[in-house]
Amino acid sequence: MAFPHRPDAPELPDFSMLKRLARDQLIYLLEQLPGKKDLFIEADLMSPLDRIANVSILKQHEVDKLYKVENKPALSSNEQLCFLVRPRIKNMRYIASLVNADKLAGRTRKYKVIFSPQKFYACEMVLEEEGIYGDVSCDEWAFSLLPLDVDLLSMELPEFFRDYFLEGDQRWINTVAQALHLLSTLYGPFPNCYGIGRCAKMAYELWRNLEEEEDGETKGRRPEIGHIFLLDRGISVSDVDFVTALCSQVVYEGLVDDTFRIKCGSVDFGPEVTSSDKSLKVLLNAEDKVFNEIRNEHFSNVFGFLSQKARNLQAQYDRRRGMDIKQMKNFVSQELKGLKQEHRLLSLHIGACESIMKKKTKQDFQELIKTEHALLEGFNIRESTSYIEEHIDRQVSPIESLRLMCLLSITENGLIPKDYRSLKTQYLQSYGPEHLLTFSNLRRAGLLTEQAPGDTLTAVESKVSKLVTDKAAGKITDAFSSLAKRSNFRAISKKLNLIPRVDGEYDLKVPRDMAYVFGGAYVPLSCRIIEQVLERRSWQGLDEVVRLLNCSDFAFTDMTKEDKASSESLRLILVVFLGGCTFSEISALRFLGREKGYRFIFLTTAVTNSARLMEAMSEVKA
Amino acid sequence: MDCYTANWNPLGDSAFYRKYELYSMDWDLKEELRDCLVAAAPYGGPIVLQNRVLDARIFHTEFGSGVAILTGAHRFTLSANVGDLKLRRMPEVPGLQSAPSCWTVLCQDRVAHILLAVGPDLYLLDHAACSAVTPPGLAPGVSSFLQMAVSFTYRHLALFTDTGYIWMGTASLKEKLCEFNCNIRAPPKQMVWCSRPRSKERAVVVAWERRLMVVGDAPESIQFVLDEDSYLVPELDGVRIFSRSTHEFLHEVPAASEEIFKIASMAPGALLLEAQKEYEKESQKADEYLREIQELGQLTQAVQQCIEAAGHEHQPDMQKSLLRAASFGKCFLDRFPPDSFVHMCQDLRVLNAVRDYHIGIPLTYSQYKQLTIQVLLDRLVLRRLYPLAIQICEYLRLPEVQGVSRILAHWACYKVQQKDVSDEDVARAINQKLGDTPGVSYSDIAARAYGCGRTELAIKLLEYEPRSGEQVPLLLKMKRSKLALSKAIESGDTDLVFTVLLHLKNELNRGDFFMTLRNQPMALSLYRQFCKHQELETLKDLYNQDDNHQELGSFHIRASYAAEERIEGRVAALQTAADAFYKAKNEFAAKATEDQMRLLRLQRRLEDELGGQFLDLSLHDTVTTLILGGHNKRAEQLARDFRIPDKRLWWLKLTALADLEDWEELEKFSKSKKSPIGYLPFVEICMKQHNKYEAKKYASRVGPEQKVKALLLVGDVAQAADVAIEHRNEAELSLVLSHCTGATDGATADKIQRARAQAQKK
Repeated sequence: MAFPHRPDAPELPDFSMLKRLARDQLIYLLEQLPGKKDLFIEADLMSPLDRIANVSILKQHEVDKLYKVENKPALSSNEQLCFLVRPRIKNMRYIASLVNADKLAGRTRKYKVIFSPQKFYACEMVLEEEGIYGDVSCDEWAFSLLPLDVDLLSMELPEFFRDYFLEGDQRWINTVAQALHLLSTLYGPFPNCYGIGRCAKMAYELWRNLEEEEDGETKGRRPEIGHIFLLDRGISVSDVDFVTALCSQVVYEGLVDDTFRIKCGSVDFGPEVTSSDKSLKVLLNAEDKVFNEIRNEHFSNVFGFLSQKARNLQAQYDRRRGMDIKQMKNFVSQELKGLKQEHRLLSLHIGACESIMKKKTKQDFQELIKTEHALLEGFNIRESTSYIEEHIDRQVSPIESLRLMCLLSITENGLIPKDYRSLKTQYLQSYGPEHLLTFSNLRRAGLLTEQAPGDTLTAVESKVSKLVTDKAAGKITDAFSSLAKRSNFRAISKKLNLIPRVDGEYDLKVPRDMAYVFGGAYVPLSCRIIEQVLERRSWQGLDEVVRLLNCSDFAFTDMTKEDKASSESLRLILVVFLGGCTFSEISALRFLGREKGYRFIFLTTAVTNSARLMEAMSEVKA
Repeated sequence: MDCYTANWNPLGDSAFYRKYELYSMDWDLKEELRDCLVAAAPYGGPIVLQNRVLDARIFHTEFGSGVAILTGAHRFTLSANVGDLKLRRMPEVPGLQSAPSCWTVLCQDRVAHILLAVGPDLYLLDHAACSAVTPPGLAPGVSSFLQMAVSFTYRHLALFTDTGYIWMGTASLKEKLCEFNCNIRAPPKQMVWCSRPRSKERAVVVAWERRLMVVGDAPESIQFVLDEDSYLVPELDGVRIFSRSTHEFLHEVPAASEEIFKIASMAPGALLLEAQKEYEKESQKADEYLREIQELGQLTQAVQQCIEAAGHEHQPDMQKSLLRAASFGKCFLDRFPPDSFVHMCQDLRVLNAVRDYHIGIPLTYSQYKQLTIQVLLDRLVLRRLYPLAIQICEYLRLPEVQGVSRILAHWACYKVQQKDVSDEDVARAINQKLGDTPGVSYSDIAARAYGCGRTELAIKLLEYEPRSGEQVPLLLKMKRSKLALSKAIESGDTDLVFTVLLHLKNELNRGDFFMTLRNQPMALSLYRQFCKHQELETLKDLYNQDDNHQELGSFHIRASYAAEERIEGRVAALQTAADAFYKAKNEFAAKATEDQMRLLRLQRRLEDELGGQFLDLSLHDTVTTLILGGHNKRAEQLARDFRIPDKRLWWLKLTALADLEDWEELEKFSKSKKSPIGYLPFVEICMKQHNKYEAKKYASRVGPEQKVKALLLVGDVAQAADVAIEHRNEAELSLVLSHCTGATDGATADKIQRARAQAQKK
């Protein structure tokens, strides 16, 4: 049941080197401030830091106490303070308030700010405006790639999504380019590059510039990874690709993420899962043998698998009976530990499953999934709309309601004006007027729009032309006028066969295609595109799709000679998601890899899901 | 052969010194050398003559070149690095009334000291103190030191006394090497060390007006006659001597040359050289010599010796004959790695080129290796000998970035200073020559052009710069900020864009600044993001400028809960927002905002009248709170005022009353009119509160379509089965079947199966 890799599947490169690099660099930076010091860490950096250097390593380098960066005065009495932060303006103001308070009290200490992954000029500007630029020393910790698993690298930059796709702020693109540059210096050049999306293209070009500037460094190295594929979370301007991220996840890993929130590769299982009075932090990756076998499975198979596993385990325990002393000694010293470990993991995942089931039945999960599938297929739109309305009226969940509204809008190419108004009104009545701003954000991002064809297009068009130069804007106008009125999503899903026609029941135990990650209802667009391009080794023959995605200017391929690449490396593919990817997409591509004898490696700005996406768009009262 | 050693002079038993002419001086010198203060840089470096200068010494450390100055007040001032001129005054020397008879700079452990002689005493001066020192084993009777010299490596020191006695020892003054009495009491004009790495016999060269003496640890010295005023320049491996008419080099004969050329030498290199000569004469002696070397198994060594010796020869003819011998010897060796031979040929070719008196850099092989090719190229570039430098790079096949491109860039920087050539011509000439050579920074050249006051030329040159990011800093400097902005945007580097933005902000008035932003969406987004966190007022101005009423509305909405605290302020902010939304033709948002104003006022009133917390609740929650508080009338009123749809109201009331467990009121409510949401929700909610009794009441009222579901909810599987069978609905049947668990439902399950079978028969 758990899919084994094909025997000819290529080996993955060793990414633990990235961790060592980051750790060494951090230690170097800490040593730059010799002597005892207190370390202030931004909350968002705590989990990633924990994966790189634990407390005892920090203590070895004379870090005395650890504090969280929060809006409270610091109680530290140390003479040296070190701040480890993301380059955000609010952090600068926090640091400034500390330093200025010290100044008022006539106290002098040493301050060092370490920006991760890089510092921005705007931050230094704020330090200067606050009058403390001369009092602090600034450094950069270029830690931008965290290996969360053997095949998953995360930049842990969830704000990338909102910054770029909502605010049009491009500052993180350079960070991505630098991360790619680091990968190519460590793992050799990539002989084949593909990409689609505006952001992907920009990142690609910046990366190329970096490579050219440091010409010769990667030249002559054997490529370890044969292909790289860059794509935007919102590939097209009409954002049909968001559909994937908006659907409920039903593959185990995705479901765990949706239910418990996987943070930086680990999850906090509460008492309801651990069946004790304590919460437990559990790392979820390939090292967890039980998890590794069920992570990519449709949820309906997981229980069966786990109970089979439990029976096997019991059988192994049972072998003890009838053992003589020597065999028993052997058993205790060699097998028992492994069995106990497996036992522990098994009961954890069974607990997690139960907890998921309980939550899902309470929310009438079946009903929800049915609605989602109806939306994807474009049936019973009225019924779905009333379902959403009821969902809002009953205050089931603000984020879920928003997600369903967006799904309806994207699949239908915008809501009809009446629904657009009434759903919004209902939502505001349920959750408060500040969500006027949320709706304004969603409209700007193209996630929730109104269906007056002329108007809608103009709105999207003006949104797009704001992002590009005048020349490109003209082209886009042309593209828009050539667009038919019908739903873009339908056209694309038809063209790419995203919604497979199934005769009879879709057998989730033996998946036939990537659609299994959504219960057979939908193949993630991003994954389908990757599949198609890899098959052709180019965008050739996909012109219509590219046109529908409005990406004629942003789809690219770049092939160099492959003579140096081994056949093994040519079956390794690095997929770069700009703006985040979901566990469902990861599972789908892992499936594709097994089918075709590839192995995929994922690099994402952050792992995302529908809730994170919606939260990024929401305005909440602070 | 014999005449070759004619200029060799033995010093002691083991070493020879020789002096040869580098080239004759072709300078147009008017003064005598004695009238000038002379400074000359080592490594065949340039010579400077000056006729009026304070007494100063230049010294070299790991950190660069330093300078020590003796001031008129007999105080010493020292700077460790002339590049970064920080003068340090040294402590006073007690009792120093006149200039010391001689002084020098010693460098030990990276610290520079000054050693000076006053009468019979020696003092060592460092940053902190001045202490008297005595060299070990100094002959008695000294009443004054006339000269002192430190070796090139700062390891050795020589002192010349008024008794004509020379003391030679370590610079630490801890050890004596040797001494010599020359019996000349006249003060020497100059005294320098002449030694080389791995020297067999270190020597000191002393110069008087017409006499040059080389002394070492030997009873006899070597003496030369000087025909005219001469000046000595100590080098790494010898001493340069120049006068008005000649330029000579004096050094200890290097080991390899000595082995080969020593009279009657039987060294393998000497034999090989001989063999090769005989071979050229077509004499069979060649074979004898060769055999002799081979029998001793020394052919490899012989070849190496010849190659090495070639490096130390100044005359190309001699170099050639040695290399020819090496090449000849190589033929008889199986596996002699060719590198050393090839490199020596290349190095000698370079050296011969720069030694030419037109260039005038008389480097020896050892100096050249110490100096490195990069520094030599720098020197050529400084002397604007660009073609030669490029030829050398090409000849040595240096990588373009370190070699040709670098030199071309220097050339271009020089070119832009030619003011008599027009901007177009200079730009074109530079681009023609440089093209797209990697490693050439057009922006550096442009910066140089701007430095010479040629702004237009600088802009033209920047056009050739492929990396737009590189163009920005200079464009800013030249006050072409708008151009800089588009280049920064092109580069994709947001920090660069931000830098330019701040420049523009200070340079332009606010209106122009905003106009510029308007045309650059990428920069605008960036600036907006900054303003959102740091300059909210500016953000508002930005929206105003753009007539972006939609965003302006949003801005005030945010202010209504984030910035304002008093209710009046909040309502006012909302009013402004609503006005903006109207202007943006966003009627929906305007109406919603007005509703919110009403709600806020009302919530305020409710708090005043009823107590409790109402402010900031959503409309839905406000109504719920009212019902939970038992204010049903108020709740109804509110629902009417805000046109809450029936469906929502029913859900809301149902949930709230169930929460209150007010079953009586719930039943009354359910009968108030026909439920717009049906009765299934009633069943659901009652079950959620675990009230099966109430739930059953409503289950009977559920319409036929949802009847089965309702019955299942209250747990009446049997009746659900009956209804499903009656409906003949397959989906319902399987739903009921899936609820048939345990023994009690066995009969029901059978019933369904039967019904199914029957349906299939039909």
